[in-house]
Amino acid sequence: MFELKRTPFHERTSRLSLPQNWRRWAGYLVAGSYDLVLDREYWAIRDAAALIDITPLMKYVIEGPDAARLLHRMTPRDVLKMAVGQVFYTGWCDDDGKLLDDGTISRLSETKFRLTSAEPSLRWLAMNAVGMDVTITEVTDQVAALSLQGPKSRAILNRVCARPLDKLKFFRLTETRLAGKPVTISRTGYTGDLGYEIWMDAGDALAVWDALIEAGRDYGIVPCGILAMDMARVEAGLFMIDVDYTAANHAWIAGQKSTPFEMSLGWTVALDKPGYFVGRRALEREHKEGSAWKLIGLEVDWQGLEQLYARVGLPPQIPGMAMRGSLPVMHAGKQVGYASTSTWSPVLKKYIALAHVQRPHYEPGTALQMEVTVEHHRLHAPATVVKLPFYEPEWKKK
Amino acid sequence: MAWDVILIGAGHNGLVAANYLAKAGRKVLVLERRNIPGGQLVTESFGEGFSVDALHASAQLRPDIVADLGLRIEASRAGAAYTCLLDGGKRLVIDADPARARAAIAEFSARDAERWPEFVAFMDRAAAFLDATYRTAMPRLPHFALREGLPLAGLLWKLRRLGGRDMFRVVRAMSMSAEEFTGDWFESAALRAAVSALAIHGVTLGPMSAGTGFTLMHNWLNRGGLAHRPIAGGVGTITAALIDALKSRGGEVRTAAEVRNVMIDGQRARGVRLASGEEIAASCVISAADPRHTFLQLVGAAELPPEFVWQAQSIKLRGCVAKVHVEADGRHGLPEGTLALAPSIRYLERAYDAAKYGEISAQPYLEVTTSGNVVSIHFQFAPYALRHVDWEAARAVVEQRAIDTLDAYCPGFKAAVARVHTITPRDLESDYGLSEGDLNHGQLILDQIFFMRPLPGWSKHATPIDGFYLCGGGVHGGGGISGASGRNAAKVLLS
Ligand SMILES: Cc1cc2nc3c(=O)[nH]c(=O)nc-3n(C[C@H](O)[C@H](O)[C@H](O)COP(=O)(O)OP(=O)(O)OC[C@H]3O[C@@H](n4cnc5c(N)ncnc54)[C@H](O)[C@@H]3O)c2cc1C
Repeated sequence: MFELKRTPFHERTSRLSLPQNWRRWAGYLVAGSYDLVLDREYWAIRDAAALIDITPLMKYVIEGPDAARLLHRMTPRDVLKMAVGQVFYTGWCDDDGKLLDDGTISRLSETKFRLTSAEPSLRWLAMNAVGMDVTITEVTDQVAALSLQGPKSRAILNRVCARPLDKLKFFRLTETRLAGKPVTISRTGYTGDLGYEIWMDAGDALAVWDALIEAGRDYGIVPCGILAMDMARVEAGLFMIDVDYTAANHAWIAGQKSTPFEMSLGWTVALDKPGYFVGRRALEREHKEGSAWKLIGLEVDWQGLEQLYARVGLPPQIPGMAMRGSLPVMHAGKQVGYASTSTWSPVLKKYIALAHVQRPHYEPGTALQMEVTVEHHRLHAPATVVKLPFYEPEWKKK
Repeated sequence: MAWDVILIGAGHNGLVAANYLAKAGRKVLVLERRNIPGGQLVTESFGEGFSVDALHASAQLRPDIVADLGLRIEASRAGAAYTCLLDGGKRLVIDADPARARAAIAEFSARDAERWPEFVAFMDRAAAFLDATYRTAMPRLPHFALREGLPLAGLLWKLRRLGGRDMFRVVRAMSMSAEEFTGDWFESAALRAAVSALAIHGVTLGPMSAGTGFTLMHNWLNRGGLAHRPIAGGVGTITAALIDALKSRGGEVRTAAEVRNVMIDGQRARGVRLASGEEIAASCVISAADPRHTFLQLVGAAELPPEFVWQAQSIKLRGCVAKVHVEADGRHGLPEGTLALAPSIRYLERAYDAAKYGEISAQPYLEVTTSGNVVSIHFQFAPYALRHVDWEAARAVVEQRAIDTLDAYCPGFKAAVARVHTITPRDLESDYGLSEGDLNHGQLILDQIFFMRPLPGWSKHATPIDGFYLCGGGVHGGGGISGASGRNAAKVLLS
């Protein structure tokens, strides 16, 4: 019989999830949420600490004298300049500069890296490694991962780690012990808050989970599912494969593909780095000519929204979770884009969306409209293009 | 000295390209890893008085190339016969003279004798069509630009002039096996085998393999018929003529100058680095070495898009030919011309079967040419990738099987053997620079010809590296001796 994989934390998470709303993530089962509504988990991310099982991320260890060269060639980032202990976020492209996937690169040593991805990437890594002295090993099942996100995350970790994390900077990692178990901790996350990701041997997973829950009790730690994380990541302006973009190798038509520039990832494209990297030519051209599309933030104007609902005698009705349906984005009666994820932002008290918008409408401050369905009628609410992220607390990088 | 163009490899295609470029005023340098130039067009000495065309026996460049470049080359002699050695001491001697050929064939089948002139005429027209195709740089599919269609339209026009019936027959024959194709024409088993032998010459295919209809036409074009047309002084005279012409145009050839890699900066070729470490700059680099070696070793996978690398790795190179040169003591007793040991289609197919399993044919297909006392035996099949044995041990096996097999059909031959020099597929790789010992720089099979040669989508001599081109036998126009791919590459570069 076919069964989805269970993560090494399943023994705990399965007993804690009240709605048992299991989600499929890269062949694993993970909890959608632990409560019937998302508020408690969401507010743990923003006010206390949320513990999220992120084991399903695909993980690869790339090791050998050419490990840096391989990632330098495969991704648009300048990996040769990366320091040991540094983490890079990056997308990577096909040779037409269209995004295939995105993830993080951790430099564990001079010659050893860990790459995370959303899609299986062994073949692409191997194809890029021809003629190089590297070994590529998938460790998705062997390495368990937890994300501890929220303003109290550091204090909790300091209680259980062998060494305090006060000096660990944003997008850096360290190796230490947690509850006596060897772990790698990176100051990374998918929420835009202060947060850490903890990488450990799958056999140590339960011990680490228990220690964190125990240490976090005083700080209001809450096991958190991926639905609340989905709201937080929109506020943080972070997009998701298959939802906000289609991997180039899964697209049916050219129009479904996106480039890093179109996804507002221009900052990851190091056109000044030496040597060939996959997609270089196409990205150079796009950089020169400008992008036809851009992923931007949309803030819906609340008063405008109220007016639309007032016509039928209702206050605005926004569901308390992120929505993945595509919503047309309009300008002067013409469609100029679409929102790929929209959500109510509890911390901002705003209705926000990640939207793909065509040139020239993607500049911050541009007034557009986004579709809302008011009592079964499709209407357009006024909205403004804003810079991403929507929300960035001062403690995120401090 | 600042070079406009560096060519890697002094085979005939590299030299033809160099000549066209020098003629157009470019400063050209040709770099050859061997101590002698010529690539597979080489007359070599294996000892005192033991000098021979080491690889390709006889050769002709396309007449228009000879004229364009004003080459002084002895005309090759037509008129030599193609003699098939049959079981029971019988022989089928297909003479270049049609009347004599018909008389010989009539002993096997009156009907076949009747059809022979028509067959020769058809094959000549099919070869002319292929020749026209090879003269036309193929468009890059599927990224087809309209202006690329012009030369193609010219080609289609030529195809049309072949006449509807011939056009249909040529296209149909390409995908057929030699066994089926010869069956369409002839009933005599001996004649069908004689023709089928040419279809599998130099390729790792049997007469029952699909696509040997194409290789038959290709090889017919390469030789100008069934038999080799020997050239006085050996094939090395063609190389010498190409080099003389190049020097008179200010070009230069350096031997013992192996290129280790192409220097690349910002996806543009800047020159080459030799194995000695010497760096030579040029605004443009053309490789006449085989595409797999060129891309994976000389350019390096790290400089190329992953999908492209994958395709370059997937080029099918399958050497299967060994060459056994015998110096006889004056009594070898073999007739002049081309001898083929191909008694039946089944015999040829069996010989090929061995190659499929990584074994040396127990009863090989042989093609034999003589030049005075030297007998050159082309041996198939001797696969590059052997199972169970290594080539050091297998060299003696090939040598012995070549001599014993020929002796069985030409008694007394073995007794005349004085000295032997054998070239195995490994030697073709290490001494002659042919990856996997593949003579054609990539098999001549249906998915590796025309716009799919060297790689699908890359048929116009260009590469993902700016200022870096291909011109050898592994690109369209190539395989065989003609100079077409060399000339086409020069034209693309000059346009
Ligand atoms: C026995 C035999 C029979 C054949 N029969 C047929 C046939 O019937 N039909 C047919 O179509 N074809 C046949 N061929 C194949 C034909 O000879 C070749 O296709 C043709 O000679 C290729 O010519 P070229 O100039 O492209 O390459 P080559 O002659 O192979 O020249 C390439 C040159 O590049 C040089 N080189 C390689 N790497 C480097 C480097 N890194 N640096 C510097 N130099 C380098 C090599 O040393 C070589 O001199 C036969 C070949 C042989 C050996």
